[in-house]
Amino acid sequence: MPAFQILKEKLPQGMVLLSVKGFLDAHTFEELEKTINDIFEDGIYKLAVDLSGLDYISSAGAGVFIGAIGTAQENDGNIILMKPSPNVKEVFDLLGLSQIFTFKDTREDAANALK
Amino acid sequence: MGESLKDRLVVSNDTKHLIVVRDFVSRLIRASRLAREEENKVILAVDEAVTNIIEHGYDEGAEGSIEIEVEAADQQFKIVIRDTGRIFNPESIPDPDMKEHVQRGHKKGLGIFLMRQIMDEVRYKFKDGVKNELTLVKFIR
Repeated sequence: MPAFQILKEKLPQGMVLLSVKGFLDAHTFEELEKTINDIFEDGIYKLAVDLSGLDYISSAGAGVFIGAIGTAQENDGNIILMKPSPNVKEVFDLLGLSQIFTFKDTREDAANALK
Repeated sequence: MGESLKDRLVVSNDTKHLIVVRDFVSRLIRASRLAREEENKVILAVDEAVTNIIEHGYDEGAEGSIEIEVEAADQQFKIVIRDTGRIFNPESIPDPDMKEHVQRGHKKGLGIFLMRQIMDEVRYKFKDGVKNELTLVKFIR
């Protein structure tokens, strides 16, 4: 299994769903950062990110979302995070990011939050 | 347990080794008395410390090595991380204001904050022979 994997899916109404799997650390974060920047360059700022397949995240990984949410919100969009495992959610909690990011359990709820 | 459990790992300054470091720490946590709910956090603290050394300790392209020594005793789980990179004292870095961090889109500088949040002790020492030594301790209660 590769250490890190990103699946990209277009949703209706100009939204994109990213599903990330594996380990998001200082070795892999640039791949996600590039993917999100490419989506922004296409003029899409409404992103849902499914974290259910993510086994581990460090601050380098969380930093990708910190760096991107401002750009998304300035352009009338947002980043909604979905279904983090307890280990991954724990890191967002430790960083005090759980109050800043919106978490949803289903893609419907994430899409509604992005409307 | 009585006796302490001890092991060490040496890796070069490349982020591709972070997974090896995490597996090493995980194995020792599972062999120790540390509660399993602390596992993810302690692994994270070590990852953050090693990541900081890889990213800031050496000039770009310069090779360096990082030693991670773990000692698990009855009362504490201790990790000592040594490197020969530039002097870096994490005690000099203040905790971030997270709201401001997000507003400014700052992506870095959170590792030391996490280390302090997670571990009971974070001690830094610069040793003669040009070595940074960072000690992370989690008490076992």
